[in-house]
Amino acid sequence: MKNKLEKLRDEFLEGLAEIKDLSALRELELKYISRKGKLSGLLSELKEISVDLRREAGEAANIVKREMTEKYNEVRAALEKKADGGVVDPTVPGEKFESGQLHPLTLVRRELEDFFATLGFTVLDGPELESEFYNFESLNVPPHHPARDMQDTFYVDIKNKQGEYDLTMRTQTSNTQVRAMQKYGAPLKAIMPGRVFRSEATDARHEHTFYQLEGVVIDKNINFGHMKNILEAVGKKLYGPDTQLRMRPKFYPFVEPGSNGEYTCFLCQGKGCRVCKQTGWLEIVGCGLIHPNVMRAGGIDPEVYSGFAFGFGLNRLVMLKYGIDDIRLFNGGDLRFLKQF
Amino acid sequence: MYLSINWLKDFVKISKKTTPEELASLLTLHTVEVEGWQEQSQTYNNVVVGRVLSVTQHPNADRLRLTKVDIKKETLDIVCGAPNVAVGQKVAVALIGAILPNGLEIKESEIRGEKSYGMICAQDELGLGTDHEGIMVLNDNAKVGQFFADYLNLKDTTLEIDNKSLSNRGDLWGHYGMARELGALLKTPLLPYPQPDEESLKAEGKAELSVKIENKKACSRYIAVKIDNVKMAESPAWIKERLSAVGARPINAIVDITNYVMLECGQPLHAFDATGIKKIGVRYSKLDESLETLDGKERLLPEETIVITNDNEPIALAGVIGGAQSGIKENTESIIIEAATFDAVSVRKATARLNLRTEASMRFEKTLDPHLPEIAWKRAWQLIKEVFPEAKLAGATVDVVNFEMEPVAISVDFSWLKKRLGRDISRKDTVTILERLGFSVTVEGNILLVTPPTWRAVKDVSIKEDILEEVARVIGYNEIPSLPLSATLSLLPENEELKLERKVQDVLSGTGHLTETYNYSFVSESSLTKLNFDVKNYLKLVNPISEQHVYLRQSLLTNMLQNVRTNQFNYPEFGLFEIGRIFLPIAGEYVKDEKGELMPYQGKRVGIVVAGPDGNAVFNRAKGLAELVLSSLWPQARIELTVLENAPLWAEKGQAAAINCDGHEIGFTGRLSTEVTNAFGIKVKVAYVEINFKELLALYLALPAHQYEEAPKYPPVTRDLAFVVDEKILYNDFWKVLIDFHPLIVKAELFDVYQGSGLGEGMKSLAFHLTYQDRERTLTADEIDGIQADLIQRCQELFEAQVRDF
Repeated sequence: MKNKLEKLRDEFLEGLAEIKDLSALRELELKYISRKGKLSGLLSELKEISVDLRREAGEAANIVKREMTEKYNEVRAALEKKADGGVVDPTVPGEKFESGQLHPLTLVRRELEDFFATLGFTVLDGPELESEFYNFESLNVPPHHPARDMQDTFYVDIKNKQGEYDLTMRTQTSNTQVRAMQKYGAPLKAIMPGRVFRSEATDARHEHTFYQLEGVVIDKNINFGHMKNILEAVGKKLYGPDTQLRMRPKFYPFVEPGSNGEYTCFLCQGKGCRVCKQTGWLEIVGCGLIHPNVMRAGGIDPEVYSGFAFGFGLNRLVMLKYGIDDIRLFNGGDLRFLKQF
Repeated sequence: MYLSINWLKDFVKISKKTTPEELASLLTLHTVEVEGWQEQSQTYNNVVVGRVLSVTQHPNADRLRLTKVDIKKETLDIVCGAPNVAVGQKVAVALIGAILPNGLEIKESEIRGEKSYGMICAQDELGLGTDHEGIMVLNDNAKVGQFFADYLNLKDTTLEIDNKSLSNRGDLWGHYGMARELGALLKTPLLPYPQPDEESLKAEGKAELSVKIENKKACSRYIAVKIDNVKMAESPAWIKERLSAVGARPINAIVDITNYVMLECGQPLHAFDATGIKKIGVRYSKLDESLETLDGKERLLPEETIVITNDNEPIALAGVIGGAQSGIKENTESIIIEAATFDAVSVRKATARLNLRTEASMRFEKTLDPHLPEIAWKRAWQLIKEVFPEAKLAGATVDVVNFEMEPVAISVDFSWLKKRLGRDISRKDTVTILERLGFSVTVEGNILLVTPPTWRAVKDVSIKEDILEEVARVIGYNEIPSLPLSATLSLLPENEELKLERKVQDVLSGTGHLTETYNYSFVSESSLTKLNFDVKNYLKLVNPISEQHVYLRQSLLTNMLQNVRTNQFNYPEFGLFEIGRIFLPIAGEYVKDEKGELMPYQGKRVGIVVAGPDGNAVFNRAKGLAELVLSSLWPQARIELTVLENAPLWAEKGQAAAINCDGHEIGFTGRLSTEVTNAFGIKVKVAYVEINFKELLALYLALPAHQYEEAPKYPPVTRDLAFVVDEKILYNDFWKVLIDFHPLIVKAELFDVYQGSGLGEGMKSLAFHLTYQDRERTLTADEIDGIQADLIQRCQELFEAQVRDF
């Protein structure tokens, strides 16, 4: 048996020495060491040998098999290297994988949603087609207020029983405030990002369809100082740890007191530049303590609870972040733009 | 709106050390936004008064003179081309470095061999007129060496206020109101508003006028005053200067005075020529009434426009613009001053409908204090008397008072103020701030009783939160400390919808390598028609901006096809996806108001378009992407494409399918017909997938999390089997029979579809890898052969399928 094995080995090694290419090697492999090759055939004879001899023959078989495999692998490695041309260029690019892209508004929106989530805010969604009640009345915007003008608001062509148009495309994400209050009550800590509409002709700086992110915090004893704290955190998140917040009065019907929040211009570090119109400040946030009428519309007692609300335009944040100079690109569907993010 | 700092100084002390920048910042941080400021004298930097010492002929040019000009500091050689230059004249000299209002920059120059160190200016070069005939000769008051701005007495600085930030503060639409604010901010007293002495208000005779307010709602106050013995003359210089400084064009003394008073106290006044006016009426316009207005236009009056009438004939559009007929004319000697309070909403509607906004209407629509007309007409009378000493009040004034106003005291607890602000403000400071703003304040224990002044009570102050704002903004929002919120754990459930949306976005932009797009919610009639949609079933806007955006989308496809058109020449093949709401004229999930009526449906959809040169390839890819979305959410889900009962009209015939996930229909897919793509100007092949995101979410929430299954211990057996069937047999029908045939068949994977020689006309071959597996034991060949034989027989019975040999 041992002899048979060694003869097979020598035969194989002689053959191997003659091998010049991978296909010849493959033939040799099939003939001798594949599952149906000569070696396997020989090994299957082991079964027929008497038990006392079988052990010795088995050891010999293992040695032969290992020798043959090692030699085979050596030759194969050498041939493969030769087939590769001998030298491998590691700087040749790898396999191409196509990648997709998320919209820049999605990217910035997610960043903020995740940021607010770490502060304990829940993310809520609201309708885009909205009633006058939630878009205006519940937000303390009385009938005949200029904001309700057709000049500013898209109305949907369905009349109510009184023969009036009372469905709008929401002009702000604030519509979700009162809905959230009604659904969840107080305390409440939520942000409401989404699409809003204004009846406005479009150009590089104006869009009739854009995005806002609104936030509310309602609890017992919420005060103006708490609002500043959250807005400072937002500023630092957006524009770095040295960002300052400046607040000044601004009228919004749904808050009282109402305020604007400006952050140090990140481009010039507050020195004044074209983007901040030489003021050193970027006007980013509208905010204020929630008006008691709005709390009441939401079914929350303003004598027991207080709260603040804030909101900002996401398009503007995205434009500032990436240096985009035309707001129409967002809804333009041009891959030359969309593939850059 | 522009504010003159000099004008403000009439009413409040502003230290000379206070720069315009500081004033602007003060107002911006505490009251309203100041957009910028302009020192008038800046206009004439480096322009001084000089005296011409000598004039000689230029040696090399007939039309030019060489002059020596004394500017006190030195004597300059200046080459001058003006014919009227003469020795002894005082002139405006632009020095080197000056930039004139017409943009001309003065540099040292050599003109035909002679040096010139400045320029003697003509009127037009100084922006003071159109005269370019010769240099501007100054009067005797001019002092040599004096700044030209000082000669013109230009010492004012103007602040530009953002009108939008004034929208809730009608009281700030004049200098006096702003001065009151500055008084509070600078902590200095406000001077009383100028009023004539009582003696001068005595009129001779009875009222020659009557006033009747027919619609009470339209007008809460109307004062008419007839004044005789006036002339049409220019205003005195100081009035013209003030008006010009804030951008109002001087016209004649009477009109200028009414404007002056408006800019000062915020109350618009109107002056009529008194000729023929006896019976004044105030009412709403009637159908088809029209009026020629002061700007010379004949205007059809929109409904609900308040008109002023004489003998019931319109003579002015109340609060907006006067009529041409009743306007002040060259020969007017007798006038009627109107000081009134008109309904803000009516005025606003009228301006919107007329598309005409005026200084007056901008103020009325903010809601004005009905006490103001009285103060305003008296101030106007004071000024008229000053300009025309012979003027006299003709008959008693008519004053129709049609309002009641009892400002109610607002009760504010000091501790509440602190609680809402997050810091303490001393009682003394609180009271002082409010008093300087015109509030009357009494303190009872811990309670402040605050009565707002009429000019605030009329509009923006009525509750304690308003008082809080007054105190907070005067102290300054930036003086309020930042206070961390104590940790409140979120009490609301997580937003599963948002999580699912992100998963879908991630898999489509990741494995699916699609690009996310956002499109408008609105579509055009022409796009819908091209897709064979019927616009009658669409919700639409009452007031669209353009034809492109009229109807509310019912599918994301419409605008996504526009995206395909946009990109088709830049990219040979591409895919896009969008997640957005569609709108249907059926009841949706959101209530309209507290009565519970439901608003139109507005569920979200996931839209996917795939575009490329090969129609089969794009459709395959689209189907694969739909499956990807589902399999990424449910790795073991059974995903089937089935025949659509109502295939969309935009799809190629027979090239549309419903997408099912574990038996739930979740969306559809289809290849766009060539007619549709042609209509959109699309040259490539397009396939579309739309997944109902609402349904997907419902399924996502309903399907329980998968339980772990141990990997099978026993090997699977895979057999390949090909069937020849009629080409009309649908894959999915066939596949269902295979997969559901026996519990040991765990997978039936299509690996080849063949049509062609050897099969016979109208036949196709479907080849499957069939995987058999038992979790408990190793399967034997005999067992599998048995199942497979039965399966083949079954397929023969159901589909007349023949097994095909490889």
